[in-house]
Amino acid sequence: MRVDVQGLTVRYGEVTAVDDMSFSLSGNKIYGLLGRNGSGKTSLMSTLAGYRKPSGSVQLDGAPVFENAAAMRQVCLVRHSADAADKGDKVSYVLEYGAAWRDTWDNAYALELVDLFKIDLKTKVGALSLGQRSALGVVIGLASRSPLTMLDEAHLGMDTPTRYAFYDALLNDFMEHPRTIVISTHLIEELASLLEEVLIIDSGRLVLQEEADVLRSRGTEVTGNVSDVDEFTAALTVLSEKSLGSTKAAMLYGALDYDQLIRARQLGLELGPIALQDLFVHLTEPVGGKR
Amino acid sequence: MFDDRSPIYRQIADRIKADVLSGVLKADEQVMSTNQYASYYRINPATAAKAFQQLVDEQVLYKKRGIGMFVSTRARDMLRAQGRESFFGEVVDPMVAEARAIGIPLAEVIRRIEQHENNGGV
Amino acid sequence: MKIFRHLITSIAVFCVLVAAGAFAFAVVTTFVVSAFRDVEISAWNVVASQVARWFLFWVGIYLIHNLLPIAVAHGRTRREFLAGASAFSVVLAFVMGLLGWLGFLVEGGIYSLMDWRADEHGSSVAYFLMFLVWCAVGMFCAAAFDRFGAGGIFSIPIALSLVAVTTTGIPGSGKLPFVPDLPVLLGSGWHLVSVAAFLVALAGTWAIARDMPVRLRTT
Repeated sequence: MRVDVQGLTVRYGEVTAVDDMSFSLSGNKIYGLLGRNGSGKTSLMSTLAGYRKPSGSVQLDGAPVFENAAAMRQVCLVRHSADAADKGDKVSYVLEYGAAWRDTWDNAYALELVDLFKIDLKTKVGALSLGQRSALGVVIGLASRSPLTMLDEAHLGMDTPTRYAFYDALLNDFMEHPRTIVISTHLIEELASLLEEVLIIDSGRLVLQEEADVLRSRGTEVTGNVSDVDEFTAALTVLSEKSLGSTKAAMLYGALDYDQLIRARQLGLELGPIALQDLFVHLTEPVGGKR
Repeated sequence: MFDDRSPIYRQIADRIKADVLSGVLKADEQVMSTNQYASYYRINPATAAKAFQQLVDEQVLYKKRGIGMFVSTRARDMLRAQGRESFFGEVVDPMVAEARAIGIPLAEVIRRIEQHENNGGV
Repeated sequence: MKIFRHLITSIAVFCVLVAAGAFAFAVVTTFVVSAFRDVEISAWNVVASQVARWFLFWVGIYLIHNLLPIAVAHGRTRREFLAGASAFSVVLAFVMGLLGWLGFLVEGGIYSLMDWRADEHGSSVAYFLMFLVWCAVGMFCAAAFDRFGAGGIFSIPIALSLVAVTTTGIPGSGKLPFVPDLPVLLGSGWHLVSVAAFLVALAGTWAIARDMPVRLRTT
């Protein structure tokens, strides 16, 4: 499913959560929506799911989503506190809603996942642990088989084995039923290899949208003498710097061309890659960021 | 597993090449499908597909329609030739530079290499 | 239609069970009371005219506060849900009115058997309309508070005036302030005022809820 966002703004009183954002997702990929806490991830996804009226335009396959029954059928958003469930409802009852109200719902798969995550059908949602509630959210999201499925901080409170079970389920189901999946998180390391494309947002604005593998080749760490590093990085985008004695390391953003690589070798600078997580941290750091 | 510091598709391609070089993957042997690979290593299938496509482009692998991908007959020879080309630039030159930096005379390095030769460690 | 059907099969069934339980409780209570003193009022009328409307009010709140967000989270539009919930409120009020009538019938039989005296009660139509308006007003108040937070308090005076008109035709449930005789003068034409009150509550609910954001529920 294709997603087009144009000039989207979300405000809560004085606070602007999403600030004039525009982007398109071509669809049928796993997207990572990366942003720090409070960067506007949830507000953005809530608007994509028709949870709130957009100011600006949000279109799914060319049709506006808000209060559009045909488009709404195609979307599922699970925010970290499951909206599709009442705390007083039993888990089995929550699944019944999905079966009753969603045309695309796969109940056999839902039960399979509930079993995988060891969620007791008779327990009330309010009595589940945070990790189990997150897992229930994943069940709702994946079993909906929606052409646009969004999971907001879906891993919250899950222990490591459960997270890996979640990643495996997500990946395998995506391969069997390709669809547009958006996962928001600020914990990138574990998830990064699952993502095909990455959107980084900060303070309600889109910082970048890029193929994950391209992004991995974007960052370079330059290490060497303070004066050499300074000379080399003078005209480049420096994300962060740190120095120890006469040695300095700088994180650069953007690919280096052939001449620059030659110059680095002449200066005896060491070039190394930067992990996606570090790149994310520095791209979303407040101005005048910390060491 | 794959690290997050360089494009994963390149790491996958390198790993398969290494398997071909070491003989773990033999000529005309079928390799895992993209989806099997993605599922096994927990990576995005499009990323795996990109790596496999690159290997097909480089003629390390070939496709059989509807069946899967296989190791080219001449893949190993080709990779060995490529390896030989880059060996001096990527392995020997940095070794010499390192030896110089820590003050080992080159003669001593050569003597050590000759020892390997005499021990029959080809 | 899916929403309406699901509401009927889940909530209406639940409501019928609650009504059955309430009737059994009323009968048992009457027998207990009869051991100590003469029975002079209809216990079922206490349930039907005092308790039931609050139950319907709660159902109205539950529909908007709890089920509307779940419906949207499951890919339904607010309009679809409101249509389903509006139709459901009419059916539910009718069913509860029917059960009220049935209760009076059975209770009447028991009373004449035991030679007890019952006070008079309202017409079935009056109960149906009271339940209908209370349910719709519950929806209206829930929508107002969900949407405007504390600002939703404006709905309370409106709600009070809307429900006041419905209870006047029913003995033992309240009279209109200032003009207590008005319903008597209007006769059964007064039912039209109840219908109007229902429509006002429903229109208010739609106006507030049709583009209401789905709030993040804190865990």
